[in-house]
Amino acid sequence: MKEFAFHSPNSLTEALELLGELGEQARPLAGGTDLLLQMRQGERLPGALVSLRRLTELKGIHDDADGGLRLGAGTTLRELTRDATIRARYPCLAHTAALMGSEQVRSLATLGGNLCNGSPSADLAPPLIALGAEARISGPRGERALPLETFFLGPGSTALQPGELLTHLVVPPPQGRCVYLKHAARAYMDIPMVGVAAQLSFERGQLRKPRIVLGAVAPVPLRATAAERALEDGPLTQERIQAAAELAQAACSPISDLRSSQGYRRRMVRVMVVRALESLRPNGSGE
Amino acid sequence: MNQRGSLIGARVPKRDAPQKASGRAVYGHDVRLPGMLHGRILYSKHPHARVLAVDTSRAERLPGVKWVLTSADNPGTRFGYGKDNIPFKGEVVRSLRDEVAGVVAIDEDAAEEALELIRVEYEPLPPVFSAQAALAEGAPLLHPEHGSNLFQGFHYEHGDLGRGESDSAVVVENQFRLPYVSHACMETSVIVANFEPGGRLTLWSTTQIPFLLQRDLAEALDMDGRDIRILQTAIGGAFGRGLDIYPFEPIAALMARKAGAPVRLSFSRREEFQATPVRQPAEVVLRAGADKHGRLTFRDVSALLDIGAYVSWGTVTPLVFIETTASLYQVPHVRFQADCVYTNNPITGAVRGYGNPQSTFYVETAMDRLAEALGMDPVEFRLLNANQPNTVTPQGLVITSCGLKECLEAVAAAADQGSAAGGQGADAALGWAGAVGSTRGGDTTRRRGIGFASTLNVGGGARIYRSDGCGAIVKVDDFGHVCLVTGSTEIGQGSETVLAQIVAETLGVDIAAVSVENSDTDTKPWDVGVHASRTTFIAGNAAHLAALEARAKIFETAAELLQTDPEQLEAHAGQVRVKRDPSRAMPLDQVVRRRHFREGGQMVIGEGWYDPPTKLVDKATYKGNISAAYGFGAQMADVEVDVDTGVVRVLRLVCANDVGRAINPMAVEGQIEGGAQMGLGYALTEELLVSQGRVLNPDFLDYRLFTAADMPRIQTIIVESEDPGGPFGAKGVGEMGGTPTAAAIANAVFDAVGVRITELPMTPERVLAAIEAGERRTRP
Amino acid sequence: MKTLVSLTVNGVAHELYVDTRRSLLDVLRSDLGLTGTHRGCDSGDCGACTVLRNGLPVTACLALAADCGGDEVLTIEGLAVGGSLDPVQQALVEKGAIQCGFCTPGVVMNAVALLRENPRPSELEVRQALAGNLCRCTGYVKIVEAVLSLQEAA
Repeated sequence: MKEFAFHSPNSLTEALELLGELGEQARPLAGGTDLLLQMRQGERLPGALVSLRRLTELKGIHDDADGGLRLGAGTTLRELTRDATIRARYPCLAHTAALMGSEQVRSLATLGGNLCNGSPSADLAPPLIALGAEARISGPRGERALPLETFFLGPGSTALQPGELLTHLVVPPPQGRCVYLKHAARAYMDIPMVGVAAQLSFERGQLRKPRIVLGAVAPVPLRATAAERALEDGPLTQERIQAAAELAQAACSPISDLRSSQGYRRRMVRVMVVRALESLRPNGSGE
Repeated sequence: MNQRGSLIGARVPKRDAPQKASGRAVYGHDVRLPGMLHGRILYSKHPHARVLAVDTSRAERLPGVKWVLTSADNPGTRFGYGKDNIPFKGEVVRSLRDEVAGVVAIDEDAAEEALELIRVEYEPLPPVFSAQAALAEGAPLLHPEHGSNLFQGFHYEHGDLGRGESDSAVVVENQFRLPYVSHACMETSVIVANFEPGGRLTLWSTTQIPFLLQRDLAEALDMDGRDIRILQTAIGGAFGRGLDIYPFEPIAALMARKAGAPVRLSFSRREEFQATPVRQPAEVVLRAGADKHGRLTFRDVSALLDIGAYVSWGTVTPLVFIETTASLYQVPHVRFQADCVYTNNPITGAVRGYGNPQSTFYVETAMDRLAEALGMDPVEFRLLNANQPNTVTPQGLVITSCGLKECLEAVAAAADQGSAAGGQGADAALGWAGAVGSTRGGDTTRRRGIGFASTLNVGGGARIYRSDGCGAIVKVDDFGHVCLVTGSTEIGQGSETVLAQIVAETLGVDIAAVSVENSDTDTKPWDVGVHASRTTFIAGNAAHLAALEARAKIFETAAELLQTDPEQLEAHAGQVRVKRDPSRAMPLDQVVRRRHFREGGQMVIGEGWYDPPTKLVDKATYKGNISAAYGFGAQMADVEVDVDTGVVRVLRLVCANDVGRAINPMAVEGQIEGGAQMGLGYALTEELLVSQGRVLNPDFLDYRLFTAADMPRIQTIIVESEDPGGPFGAKGVGEMGGTPTAAAIANAVFDAVGVRITELPMTPERVLAAIEAGERRTRP
Repeated sequence: MKTLVSLTVNGVAHELYVDTRRSLLDVLRSDLGLTGTHRGCDSGDCGACTVLRNGLPVTACLALAADCGGDEVLTIEGLAVGGSLDPVQQALVEKGAIQCGFCTPGVVMNAVALLRENPRPSELEVRQALAGNLCRCTGYVKIVEAVLSLQEAA
């Protein structure tokens, strides 16, 4: 591994200043579960690491003024699985986090780290996008917000500009039930072959603002907007579910890699979208 | 008539367990010696190339680097089963794991950095990445002096194939593809080498064959065997990895010699996947037949094995392919052909089961197909053709004890119990197995199925070398402490404990009074090595003999003291007593002291050597009795197949094994359960992906082992057929837990969805493709 | 580059001058000689290096030593005090859940963490918690049995 300088700022302001001074060669370090591996493989060679561990501004899960939730980017996956508020109001986030890595990795890995790593198969991205989450970013030019679905630009690439940090996510009040299905070879420990998140809310039997988000089957986590439109303002029938699944399948652009072939991924998108939607029937199992 | 004693059949915890539980066991990675240096190996960048030049000058100048070695440091002798391997490759590299240079440095970082600074000039040569390509006309020869890329062909026949075919009412044929898999030991390979002043070499090794390694290293290093001492550390898994001499071992010694200091050479996990031997991939074509009464008529098998660039012991797995093909079930006519071919792919070696998981897969798939073709129940068909005790197979295997029938009946009964519990109840009983994972489909997409497979494995040694023996020494001291010095090696399977139980039982002492020494080639008697499930049988018999000899000496003295004859005595609960009048007794330790502390006194030491009455397999016909006993087993897999995703989830695996006698049932179960984990991986998730000679998934993220959350419910049933040749009737079991598993699961998948999968592992993608290509069968 | 880190390991305070590239695992094994925590993969996939950091189970190979300032770390060596085994260790010994033993310290530490949080886990919960501890010898059967057996004592 290449040598690097290590910095451990005590506040967000200090961290941002440091990142500004150090420039491109510096990388923020959260849990390290992705970054350290990349450094060991020689995929990333930062000259400096800025630890975010001591930044209390990034911690915490708080109620938001609008009835939603503020999730600190420094929230560990373990905290997501245990937090009473998350489990009560956004259980799909707790379930998703529980499917990632292992207990040991979840004690280290953070929400922010999972998103900022920019992997198209980041498990937390689809459910958070389905929930309508917004990324809050701080940097040299102040704070800004953007919908999480626009946060991802490509494999390993996010909308963060040099010197910026993802500080927290703001999740709106739950709009119906949300589910995330992770299709992988083993029960845990795996990167998914396909990930599907869906959120459905009903008004007098009709779907309002359905959201379907696909992971691991495009360069970025992908909202299947055509599939959503096909479901909107209508009942959740078998036919409409199949139609939405077909549209979602058409929208994705998976690759073949050592985990799975393109063709299989494409087929599983359809299967998983159907299953996700079925599970969100008002009398269905869900979550 | 076997002695039924309190320690035989006792669930004794392993002696080294408390130490391992406390983190105090010393593994190779934990060994620290004053002045110890660290070695790393530079591997080839090409799968096949001429080495034109190796420039180590920049590496040598790096601070912290002590020495850089190349083929110039090779002693000049070749080693390995095929005598085709050398420590550093200076002329031709034949795989991406070929060792080109080595660095010795003060720490691993410096060594690692130095590797980057070694400049090697290659002239790439055309590579071959499949056995077919290697055998094609005009293919580049890996070892030109060999004349061909065909390292060895194995041909076996018994009976008359033509007769077998004409007797058949049904014939089935299939092609099978079997993958590369890795041992994936939790501890990566490691060795520490140190030359004493005076020239003696001491090694701390995880080898499974210390004495053969001693001999092989002497050859490889051009040294006298007397000057090599091998100490064994705690071993973090073996499963065949340490069954031969591999280049990193002489390399470590060369490093230590050059540096004049101890050197530790250890592998990273990536290196472990890329550079340790793996199970050969194989392509097999099998035809098999049965007559109208359901009796097997013939098997005709041809196999092509990709052995990699160099040959090790693990390459001759066709010997076991033959054993299973010719002798699992009674089959009168067999023809078998296997070609082992050199390629520029990863080197292959011995992996647990050693050809048995592969051959059992194809034999048991064929059994299922034959049963189906005949309209017979799969268990009834197997029972009809099952091996019987006290028979000799056409191959010449002398089967003494045989519990195959009991194993099949036991798993069949377990299958009936499961279905009797009913859908809901059975699911509830499975609890976690069904709940795990978030994508389990609805009822309409899940199909349940049950499948069976049996296994036969050597259980009383395996004569693959001039001697299949093991020595033991039992010393009883003045305090009544017993020390067993055994040639056999503890690789985690619990052999030390089982041997201690045998010795303690024989001498009538508490297990706590027995300690076991087995880690120093200077002091322990010879043993060929721990492999082929031989330790309980062979080392057990040797330990038993040594304990009996020690006991005879004790009885000789006790007889004088108790004024009786030695035949009237027994040893029990730390005492020596007269059988018919137990009140006439003396403490055992007192007898020892009385024998010792007198004029003309003597110590109590017993010696045992056991080399089973078996034969080296005939080099031309492969016939003969290779083992003194054979173990048998059967498994039942209860699976659920998701027809939309192809995911196969094993809900329950029932394993019945005939082990002759379970000296330590807890240890036996542990071997079966652990073997099953490997079998499950082989069946469903483990595959080393190799492309252009390169391992694509050298990590635990993408080389998928079953975790605690993936495992099905496992039920183990121990069948005791009491083998006449084994210590207290025991036979070996180490490999059988994982040999029939893939077949049982594949047969269950067929039962569930009506398709035969003949390529492993049965990944969701492969299963889905097979479902779509085949026809669905509805369950009756 | 090196940096100063102060951390407590098994109740003992240490001030260490470490290369920033070192993981907590490196420091435990090399600097502090605590070799009971094993290196199985160096990528967080096998769990052999599990220790408790501020009471939480973590794979020490993924924790940068330089980032462990002020942490309290418990390793396998710090568990059993005064010569007797912790109940988790004892249960693993008695149930035959230890073969080669390489994964064992990681299993012990993870199980200790589980039971401190949840003294009566179901079998599903035990298996989910231990999913990050790979074992090649036991098939996990007796490991799970051993952890479940501690419920009666809880």
